[in-house]
Amino acid sequence: MEAVKPESMPPFNGVNWIGLFTIIRREAKRLMRVPIQAFVAPWISALLFIFIFGYVVGSRIALIAGHRYIEFVLPGIVMLNVVNASFLQSSSQVYFARFMRYVEETLVAPLTYAEMIAGVIAVVIARALITAVGILLFALIFGATRISDFGAFVFWIIMVSIVFGLAGQIVGLWAENFEQLTILNIFFITPLSFIGGVFNTVSMLPPWLRWMAWANPFFYFINGLRQSMIGFTEAPSGLGALVTIVLAAVLFFTVWRLYARGYGLRE
Amino acid sequence: MDPALEVSHLRKIYRGGTVAVDDLSLDIAPGDFFGFLGPNGAGKSTTIHCICGIATPSSGTIKIFGVDAVKDYRAARRLVGLSPQEFNVDEFATVSQILDFVGGYFGLNAHQRKVRAELLIEKFDLSQHAKKRFRQLSGGLKRRAVLARALMHDPKLLILDEPTAGVDVELRLDLWRYLQELNAEGKTIVLTSHYLEEIERLCRTIAIVNHGRIVRNAPKRDFIGEAGGVEEAYLKATGAKPDHLAAAAGA
Repeated sequence: MEAVKPESMPPFNGVNWIGLFTIIRREAKRLMRVPIQAFVAPWISALLFIFIFGYVVGSRIALIAGHRYIEFVLPGIVMLNVVNASFLQSSSQVYFARFMRYVEETLVAPLTYAEMIAGVIAVVIARALITAVGILLFALIFGATRISDFGAFVFWIIMVSIVFGLAGQIVGLWAENFEQLTILNIFFITPLSFIGGVFNTVSMLPPWLRWMAWANPFFYFINGLRQSMIGFTEAPSGLGALVTIVLAAVLFFTVWRLYARGYGLRE
Repeated sequence: MDPALEVSHLRKIYRGGTVAVDDLSLDIAPGDFFGFLGPNGAGKSTTIHCICGIATPSSGTIKIFGVDAVKDYRAARRLVGLSPQEFNVDEFATVSQILDFVGGYFGLNAHQRKVRAELLIEKFDLSQHAKKRFRQLSGGLKRRAVLARALMHDPKLLILDEPTAGVDVELRLDLWRYLQELNAEGKTIVLTSHYLEEIERLCRTIAIVNHGRIVRNAPKRDFIGEAGGVEEAYLKATGAKPDHLAAAAGA
């Protein structure tokens, strides 16, 4: 048998790049086994939101800061789907690897925790970007797609997908059954994203409820994406980006600690 | 020369306080075929999991060819291949994909993965099944696929946790022959099994573990030289009651 001796393998020089790309490649293949669930479902859902809320209802709503309602609501719809895609991707990737125990293939391999986390996040970002681009293409039909600051648009899609890719990993490590896998989505992500300004401005809320928007990180995500698309913002410049970067850093450290402890992974 | 495997004062205590491995120490020489015997729950699989990184040791040290398996785990893991007792495989992936992915995790480039996977698929007579999903395979074919996976990165130390459990006699003989070939090529092999004749036939050194401790560790010839051979030594070392067994045999 032709030997492929460990000694003949190239040194990693800090990063096991082939191992990292294998994590990405493997998950991409898994994702392509369920393209309808992964991509078609959020696109159809977004298309319905755009049509009903943006086009049918929106045509009867006055301009908001000079923008048609469909243009105002589109960034929120994109963000809702980016958040969902990111969270579902990472939580299911980690959970199924644990559930079917093939996570042990990575535990016995020369991979660092950072490489494992980065592998998951890379697929999350790709899925989020594909989801977002698909929705924008559908929105073109209604003439609602505008991107005023492309760099900021990419920043928000990537940063928010990282945040929810990391949050999904925590849930994927913690969950012991399918119901637990959906708890964060049902009780936090969906309610907070809906009250975070997908369909309305903060000024439309009753004054006593406005504090809830300022304390809600989803408001900053949606507001940031909206600013990058139509230039409309309700938050001080830079505050949203700062909140998001700090949140991503805290979540990364938490996930890294969980991997290092072997939480949900090692016996 | 460093031992192939050096375990010193290994302890593994699970959450809830169950002591699975209790101050276990052993050395395995390079090139040895080492049998690891013990009743269910004795700590064999937990010890193996600590060596390979599936479990975190509570205390003690593990060195693989002199490389610390905790402090320098990346270097250590390249030296070990594991065929686990239970299938820990993506059941929806094909045999080829499983081998390709695992080779990738270990840093093999595309050419190395292709060459290695083709060789192992041929060696384990999996050519007809390479494109089948793991879940479509029979129990024996699954065993072969998992063994091939353990060998993808050509480890110097191969750990097999009950590799012949549930396989038919023909395949068992094939696997024995193949394991003997690998050992003759210089690979160090650690084998756990409930089949005493398997251990007796293949291994040169035998350790018996009970309640998380090594209770006997000696060359096979020492066991063979005793009255009753490996079986009697095993029953004695694990505290099984021969009179009960004799009564059961009589009944």
